Parts: sequence; structure tokens; C-alpha cells
Amino acid sequence: MNYFSQYLPLADIFLLALGFAFSQQVVLRAGVFSVATAGFASLGAYCSAILVTTYGWPAPAAIAASLLFGTAAGWCLSLPLARLRGIYQAIATLAFVQVVIAVMLFATSITGGGLGINSIPKSVGTGTLLAAAIITGYVMFAMQRSGIGRAFDAIQQEETVAAVLGVSIRRYHALAFTISGAIAGLFGGLQSLNTYTLTPSSFSFTFVIMVLGYIVVGGRRSAWGPVVGVAFLTLLPELSRGLAEYRPIVTGIVMIAVMIFLPLGLADTFILSLKRRKRQGNLVEGGTHVRSAS
Amino acid sequence: MIAQQILNGVITGSIYALFALGFTLVFSVHRVLNLAHGGVFMVSALFAYYLVTSGVSIWVAAVAAALAGGVVSGLIEIVALRRLRRFPPHVMEFAALITTLGADIVIINIGHKLTDAQTVRFPFGTFPNVFFNLLGLRISFLQIAVLLTVGAMLLFLMYYLYRTPVGLKLRAVASSEKAARLMGVNPDAVYLQTFFISGVMAGIAGVLIALSFNSISAHMGEPYMLKAFVIIVLGGLGSIPGCVMAAIFFGVAQTLCVVYLPPGAPDIILYSLLFLVLLVKPSGLMGSAAAISIVGRRA
Repeated sequence: MNYFSQYLPLADIFLLALGFAFSQQVVLRAGVFSVATAGFASLGAYCSAILVTTYGWPAPAAIAASLLFGTAAGWCLSLPLARLRGIYQAIATLAFVQVVIAVMLFATSITGGGLGINSIPKSVGTGTLLAAAIITGYVMFAMQRSGIGRAFDAIQQEETVAAVLGVSIRRYHALAFTISGAIAGLFGGLQSLNTYTLTPSSFSFTFVIMVLGYIVVGGRRSAWGPVVGVAFLTLLPELSRGLAEYRPIVTGIVMIAVMIFLPLGLADTFILSLKRRKRQGNLVEGGTHVRSAS
Repeated sequence: MIAQQILNGVITGSIYALFALGFTLVFSVHRVLNLAHGGVFMVSALFAYYLVTSGVSIWVAAVAAALAGGVVSGLIEIVALRRLRRFPPHVMEFAALITTLGADIVIINIGHKLTDAQTVRFPFGTFPNVFFNLLGLRISFLQIAVLLTVGAMLLFLMYYLYRTPVGLKLRAVASSEKAARLMGVNPDAVYLQTFFISGVMAGIAGVLIALSFNSISAHMGEPYMLKAFVIIVLGGLGSIPGCVMAAIFFGVAQTLCVVYLPPGAPDIILYSLLFLVLLVKPSGLMGSAAAISIVGRRA
């Protein structure tokens, strides 16, 4: 029992990171290059923390409010940003993240400024986080299997073709932003009620890089991508203490190597190779196989 | 009083321009946001610091640091970007952001280890500390050096891109890599050259900025990276004169905001401005769509 309890904080970190990674994956999957997850998470976290500490709301209500707030922020941001593409979107969302940080620093009377909000009562344990992560993972998985997932895939691969096939790019981009905002808001709220303190720098540029790293390493398509990415980047350096000191350097090298050699990410490459193997097997057994291109 | 503030703003803006010029050059040729630019900038500043503390004069150290910046930047091109060019452009755009980000993390953390996470300073009197009075305004020798360097870099880039055969090749690759290849241009060499020049510029900027604020730390590039985003968007993505104008406008606006507004507010205003420009006129304030395509934008 002792053995497990010493790893509980690590499990918390893993599950929170997983949630943010899901939020980042939704947008990338739909071909939206947004890094706004950090901004949404910050809004969600402050929302919960302020409601609990200042207004004395119960934790579940505060987290629900965070979820709604994140959703609303995602939807609002999607209205102007669906017009932009690629790098422009990335820069605009980065500007959004910076504005959120600057506002949190500026509005000292509400957010505590640079000192942030401290001594938030801890009301979210590993169990709640696990439940939230599983539900989010299931939603992602279900979405991937549904029409929304197929539309996202089509848009991500070739926007023009998707538009010609009758997929409303504006609508699906808005949807991706909204879902991303909802997930980030939810996990932001959970994080603030899990870790006692909250400062504007918790969701800064470093956070943006980390979350992008999870998806790049894990993969952008399958729901397993974030799980693998987060596991690879958070658990490995934690478990092997010798590497912990060089963790950022290892992260950087892994990001470059994965992008160059396995551009789909670890999980997606593995799934793809499994599918290929299966298909080849069918070919050998079944003889002629017409619908091999799926 | 206000004249002095505006002059200070122009100088702050020139400092941003120093940093942003190399960044814009790579963006205009490659359509790649080189996120490791801040890392290269830091490496050069740190390199100059080590040379100066081991007794080399600042002038020699500055030249060596600029070259070091060029070499590091070239290495980034070879390691992190060359192999990505086999992907289609929209995949490459994303992949390049990630690999250069990775390179930046690696460089910054090596710097972090080297300096033991400390902020280091040049010894006092490394650069002649002279002040001039110009029409009642106070300006230091170093500030004049910054202004002159920005002017020289801008002239050099314009000359290099539009008046030399090498610049012609570079523009050819920027407008269509395939066509340029058919004309006998080696794109890899051109890209390497662009990165080298961009790195040299980052190096010069690193030394001058380190001297101006007299502080060098592993993370010194980060605030400039964020400002460089604002500047290249304002100036029109890929437009080189636009970048300098935007940098100076940004410097003046920032200085005036800092003087006349409560602390903390300038950041909100400046980043909101970036956001608004991207929404209303993504081609930037100075750069028309045509101006961008001259320097090369694969639409």
C-alpha cells in the first residue's frame, strides 16, 4: 500500500496532463493549429479557485462552472479565429494565452496578481481525476468513431476536398475550439482544486510547449496518442531519477526525433503498422482483396 | 520630456528590430517560424560573455559571437529542418514549429546548465560608457551603435536579397523550390545560407542587447520571441522593411504605455493589438499581400 501511495502525486500529474493533452489533440486533429489550451485551462482554473475560496461554492459546482466557462471561452474564440489558418492561428492563439496571463497578473484584486491564489482547499483526489480522464478519453474515442471524427480527419488532410464534400469547415473548427475549451476548462478547474496553489505562470509558454509535446510524441489521431505521449514525457523522467535533471533536454530531443522519424507520433505509427499487418494477413489468406485501400 | 520618451521608444524598438530581422528573414524564405531564434540569440550573448571574461576585447568577442550564432543556426537547419522538407507544406509548417521548439528547449537548457541558472553580467566598462547630448536629448554611445546596426542590417538585407545573384537564388527558392531546383539552384545550400545569416544577425543582436541591459541568462530570448511574433505580424509576415517599421512603432508604443499607464496594462494592450491585427488585416499593417509575395510566400 505504501508503495502505491508514494506514487499518487505522480498519478495526479499524469491524469491532469492527460486531460490537457486531450484538449490540445481535439484542435490539432481538426486541422486547427491552436495553442489556446493553456489560456482555457488558466480561465478554468481561476474560475474554480475564485468560486471556492471567495464565494465558498462547493467543489462540484465550481468544477461545473469551470467546464461551462471553458466551453464559452472556446466558442467565443472560435468566432474570430476560424478565419485564420496555420501559423497565423498559432500566433493568434498564443496572443490569447499571453492576454490571459497579462489579465491575471493585472487584475490583482480578483486573481491575486503575481502571487496568485494560495491555500485552495484540496477537494479533488486521484479518484475524481481518474474518472474525469476516463470519461474524457471515452468521449474522444466515441467522437473519433463518429461522423465528427471523420469530418475532422477530412479537414485535417485536405481542407479543399473536405469543403467540396460538403463538410462545413467553419462549423467543425468552431466545434473543435469549443470542445478543446470545455476539456481544458474542466481540467484547469480540477487542477486548481487538486494542487492548493495557482499562479498566472502555471499556464505560461512552458505549459504550451509541454502540452504540444505530449501530442507530437503520442500522436494526433487516435485517442491513445495523448496517453502514450503523456506517459512517455512525464512518467519516464520521473521514474528514472538520473534522467530527471536532463528532462527538458530529453523532451526537446525526443520532440525533434519523433517529428523527423515518426511524424505521426508513437501511438499512431504503431496503430497504422498493426492495421497494415492485419490487412496483409487478410490478403494472403483471402486471396483477392478488392477493398484494400481504406 | 515626451521627446525623450519617444527617443527611448525608438531605441527600444531598434533593439526589437535587431532581434526580429533574422527571424523575419527565415520566415520570408522558408515560411518557417524558427522558434529556436531566441536560443541562438542567447548562445551568442553567452559566448561573447565567456570570451570577454577570458580577456578578449569586446569587438573581437562580438564578431566571434556573431559567427557562433551563424554556426548554431546552420546546425539547427541541418538537424531539425532539412529532413522535414519531404513533407507537404502544411505538414511541414507544423512539423517545423515543433522541431525548432525542440531545438530551442535543448539549447536553452544547455545554457541553463552552463550558467547554473544564474544571470551573468559583463564586467564594468566592457563597452565605453559615453553619453552625448543631442538637441537636449540624452543618448549613449551604445544606443547610437544599436541604431546604426539596425540601419546597416536593413541595408545589407535589402542589398543582399535584391542586388546580388545569391539573393536572386534565395528569392527563387522562396517563390518555388521546385522551379528553382530545375534551374540548377541547390535549395539546401540556399536554406543553409539563410539560416547562417539569420544566426549571425541573432548573434549581433544577442551581444548588443546583452550589453544594453547588461544581463545574460538562459531564458533571455523568450520575451523577445513573443515580441518578435507581434512585430512580424504587425509588419506583414515576411516583409523586411515592414518588420523594422513595426518594431520601432512597437517600441514607441510600449515605452509610452509603460510611462503613462498603470503597470501590467501595456502587455494586455500590446497582445490584444496583435490579436486584432491578425483578425482585421492578417497581411499586416505595412505589408500588402503583394509585398509579401515578393519576398516569397507559398500560398
